[in-house]
Amino acid sequence: MENEEYEGRIKALGIMVVMVIAILIARVGYLQVFDGEYYASLADGNRIRIIPSMAPRGTFYDRNGALLVTNRPGFTVSLLPLTAPVSEDVIERLSQLLHVPVEDIHAKVDAHSGFDPIRIKQDVTSDIVSIIEEQKNLYPGVVIEVQPIRNYILKQEAAHTFGYVSEISDEELERRKDEGYKSGDIIGKFGLEKIYDHELRGENGGEQVEVDVSGKPVQILGIKEPVPGADLYLTIDKNLQMAAEQAVDDQLAMIHASAAAAVVLNPQTGEVLAMVSRPAFDPNLFAHGISTKDWNEINNNPYHPMDNKAITGEYPPGSTFKIVTGTAALAAGKVSPEEKIFDSGHHWIIPKGNADGEALGWLNFTEAMAHSDNVYFYEMGNRLGIDNLEHYARMFGLGKVTGIDLPYEADGLVANRAYKRKVFDDDWYLSETFDAAIGQGFNLVTPLQAAMVMGEIAANGKCYKPHLVNRIMTQDGKIIKEFQPELLSELDVSQNVINLVQTGLHDVTKYGTAARIFAGFPVEIAGKTGTAENSQGRDHGWFVAYGPFDNPTVVVAVIVEQGGYGATSAVPIGRKILEAAFGLNQPAAAPAPANGQAAP
Amino acid sequence: MTKRIFRRMDFALIAATVGIIIMSLIIIGSATHINTPSQERYWFVQRQGLFAIIDVALAVFFMNFDYKMLQGYGNKLYIFNLVMLLAVMLVGHSALGAQRWISIGPINIQPSEFSKLIMIISLAGLLEDRLGKINTVHDLLPIAAYVGVPFLLVLKQPDLGTSLVFMAIFFGMVFVCGIRLKLLGGIFLAGIACCPILWHFLKDYQKMRIMVFMDPNVDPLGSGYHIIQSKIAIGSGMLFGKGLFGGTQSQLNFLPENHTDFIFAVVGEELGFIGAAVLLLLYLVVLWRGVQIAKDASDMFGRLLATGITSMLAFHVLVNVGMTTGIMPVTGIPLPFMSYGVSSLTTNILAIAVLLNIQLRKQKLLF
Repeated sequence: MENEEYEGRIKALGIMVVMVIAILIARVGYLQVFDGEYYASLADGNRIRIIPSMAPRGTFYDRNGALLVTNRPGFTVSLLPLTAPVSEDVIERLSQLLHVPVEDIHAKVDAHSGFDPIRIKQDVTSDIVSIIEEQKNLYPGVVIEVQPIRNYILKQEAAHTFGYVSEISDEELERRKDEGYKSGDIIGKFGLEKIYDHELRGENGGEQVEVDVSGKPVQILGIKEPVPGADLYLTIDKNLQMAAEQAVDDQLAMIHASAAAAVVLNPQTGEVLAMVSRPAFDPNLFAHGISTKDWNEINNNPYHPMDNKAITGEYPPGSTFKIVTGTAALAAGKVSPEEKIFDSGHHWIIPKGNADGEALGWLNFTEAMAHSDNVYFYEMGNRLGIDNLEHYARMFGLGKVTGIDLPYEADGLVANRAYKRKVFDDDWYLSETFDAAIGQGFNLVTPLQAAMVMGEIAANGKCYKPHLVNRIMTQDGKIIKEFQPELLSELDVSQNVINLVQTGLHDVTKYGTAARIFAGFPVEIAGKTGTAENSQGRDHGWFVAYGPFDNPTVVVAVIVEQGGYGATSAVPIGRKILEAAFGLNQPAAAPAPANGQAAP
Repeated sequence: MTKRIFRRMDFALIAATVGIIIMSLIIIGSATHINTPSQERYWFVQRQGLFAIIDVALAVFFMNFDYKMLQGYGNKLYIFNLVMLLAVMLVGHSALGAQRWISIGPINIQPSEFSKLIMIISLAGLLEDRLGKINTVHDLLPIAAYVGVPFLLVLKQPDLGTSLVFMAIFFGMVFVCGIRLKLLGGIFLAGIACCPILWHFLKDYQKMRIMVFMDPNVDPLGSGYHIIQSKIAIGSGMLFGKGLFGGTQSQLNFLPENHTDFIFAVVGEELGFIGAAVLLLLYLVVLWRGVQIAKDASDMFGRLLATGITSMLAFHVLVNVGMTTGIMPVTGIPLPFMSYGVSSLTTNILAIAVLLNIQLRKQKLLF
C-alpha cells in the first residue's frame, strides 16, 4: 500500500468488530444464563394453561338410599386467556352463537386475571357444543368445559331442606378465602347445601394443557383428577316427603290458601322424616344462574317462597300450646287430674271464652285437653302465673333454636314479663297471662318447635336434637361423620304427668277436636289442634300429632297460614301424612310404588 | 494456477461462512416445520439450500475474474441500482407495510438487498483515489450526495433498516478512506442535533418501534410483542437450549417471523447460550477475516470493498441480534446467512466471494 498512514483506521475497524461481537455475546449470556430462569418461567406462562375440572358435589340420598339430589353433566363455554388479545371476530361470533351481548363478553374478559378459563356461558345445549367442536378454526381460544350441574330430581319438593347452589359472591369469597374457596366456585347458599358445603364440595382437579399462540390446546401435560364431594345420607324418607308435599298441595288447593309448613320427625331419635314449606321454589333454577324473570316471580310472591317456613316461620302456637300449659299445671300441682272446672262460656275473672262462645260445662283435665277448652286453660294460666308458664315453656325448649342442621332457624318467643318490659315498657297484666296460656299473645313458635313439643310428650319427656343427616360418606365408602340421636334435655316432670297429658292428647282423636277426621284410623294417634289468631288476616290452622300412641315413632306438626280452624285446615293434612308414615296409603295408591322408586 | 488459488484461499472465512449457512438450514427447518403442511414441510429449507448451492457456484465462477475489473463498472452499476430501486417503487408489491419486492418469473427479488453490495462497489470506485482527501465539508458533499440518492429511495419504500445499512457502509468506508476525524465528529454532532427533526419524518409505526424499544411494555400485545416474545424465547433457552424442534416459543407460534428477522431467537431458544455464542463467534471469524483482507488488499479499491462489506455484515449482525435481544430497536434487517430470504443470502454470499477474490489477489501474490 502506498499510504501506511491510514493503516490505523483498519485496526480501529477490527477493534470495533470485536467489540460488537463481545457486546452481543455478553447480552445473550445475560439473558440466557443470568436471567434464564425468569424467562423460562415466562415461556411456561405463555404455553401452559390450567383448565380446572370441577369436582362433582356429593349426592343426597334418602334414608332408604333413594336418590334425591345429584349432578348432571353441563357444558360451559369458556375463553382461554391468551398472550395475544382475543380477536374481535371470535367475540362477535361467540356473542351470536350464545346470545350473550358483546359488551358482556368484553366485561368478563377485562375483569379476568390469571390463566384459568374465562367462563362465558354455563350449561349450554349440546347443539352449541357440537358447533364449536366442529368449527374449531372459527373459535380459537374457545374451550368447552364439562362441569357437573346440580340436579334436584324432586324439583321444588323438599327444596327448602336441600337448599340450592350458586356462584360464590364477593362477600362470601372475602369471608371464606382461607378455606380454599376461589372466585367462580359454586357454593351452597341455602339449606343442607349451605350447612354441609364443606363436605359436599370435594376437591377440584384440572388439566395442564400446552396451548399454541391462538389458544389451541396442543397436548395435555398433566391431569389431576377431581375428588368428588362426600354424599349425604339423609333422615328424610322420600316417599313420606312426597306424600306430605302432595297432602299439603291438595289441601291448599282445596281451601284456597297459599302458605303452609309441615314437619315430620321421629321423637325417639330426632330424625326429620319430611319437611315441607309452601310456597316453594325450584332449586334447579339457581344451578346455572337464575333468570331475571324467574327471580322476579319468586321475589314478588307475597308468601315468600324462599323462606323455609318450617324453621323460620314464627306463628302464635294457639291451642297447641295447651300441651305446655297443661303439663305445667299438673307438674306444678296447680290442678289435680280429677278436678272439674266449669265452663260457662267465659272465664269468671276476665270475660274470655271459646272461639264461638260455646259453653262446655264441667270438664276434667283430659276432657279439657280433648275439647281444647279455653276457659279451663285460662284458669290454669291464672293459677300458674306467667312466670311458671315461662319456666315450663322454656323447659320444652321454646324461645330458642332447636339446633337443626339448617340455616336461618328462628328462635320463636316465650311470653314473659321481661320481654314486655323491654319492648313495650309496660307491666304485665293478667289478661296477657290468659292469652299466653292458650298460645296467643306474645308466644311464637316455629312449626319445628311445635313438633318438638309434641315429640317430647311422645318420648316421655326426652328431647332429641332434630337432624336431617344420618351419615356423610365419601364415594369410596369411607364414613366421614355419623349422626347418633343426641339427647338435648328431659322434662323435669313426673311420668305420671306425662301419661295424663298423653291421655288427653289421645282423646283429641277419640272424641275431641280431631275425632271426626280420625274416625276409624287404624293406628292410635295422639293429637292437638290449634287455631292461631292472626292480626293480618284469617287465623292460622295448626295440628300436631304423634303415633302409634303406645310406641310413638312419628311426630307431625302442620300449619296452614290463614287456613282458619286447625281442625278443618291442618288436620286433614296431618292425617294424610300419618297415613303415609304408617304405610296406610299403599292400597289406595297401588300403582304408586313404582312411582316412588322411579329414580334408582 | 488452480493449485495456487487453492493454496491462497481463505479457509477460515470459507469454513465460518459455510458453518453459518449449515446452521441456518437446520434452524430454518426447525422454525418452519410445525406450521407447514407435511408435504411442504421442508419447502423453506430446500429453497434456501438450493439457492445457497447456486450462489456458491456463482461465487466460484466469479473467482475467475479479478475484482479490480469491478472498478470500471462502478458508475454503470450505480445507475442500474437507481433504476432497480425506482422499479420497486413503480411495479413492486408490498408486504408488511413496505414496498420491497419485484417479481421476476417465480422469484421475488428484494432489490434493496442487492443494492447494498452495489453501493459498496460504486462507492469504492468513487473513493478509490481520495485517500486522505476528505478533509472538509466541501470534500464530503459529493460523496454524501452519491450515497444520498439511493439512500432516500430505499428510505421511501420504506425500508429504514436498509437505509441505515447504507449509512453504516458509508461511514465505514469514508473512515477507512481517511476522513478527517474532526469532520466525522462534526457529522455525528449534527446528526444528533437533527434527531428531533428526523423524528417528524418517521412514520407512526417507526416512532412506535423506538418507543417500544425504550420500554416494550408500552404496548405488550402490539409493537412490543415481538421484543418481549423474542427475549422470552432467547432467555428461556438458558445455557443448553431446549433442543432442536423443542422451542416452545417458536414451535407454538408465540414468536412470529421466526425463520426470517427473528431467527436468532430460535437459535437462542433451541440451542441455548452455547449455540448462540458459537454462532456469534462464527460471525466474529467472518468479520475478523474481512478486516484482515481489507488490511492486506493489494489496492485501495480492494481495501474499500472489503471495508464496506465488513461494515455491512457487522452492522447487520449488531442490529439484528441487538433487536432480538432487546438492545436495539426493531428494524427489519435480516441476520446474514441465517435469515430465510434468497435475496439476502445471494447478496451475502456474493459479498464473501468478493472478499475471497480480494484475498486471492492480495499484494504478496506473485503471478
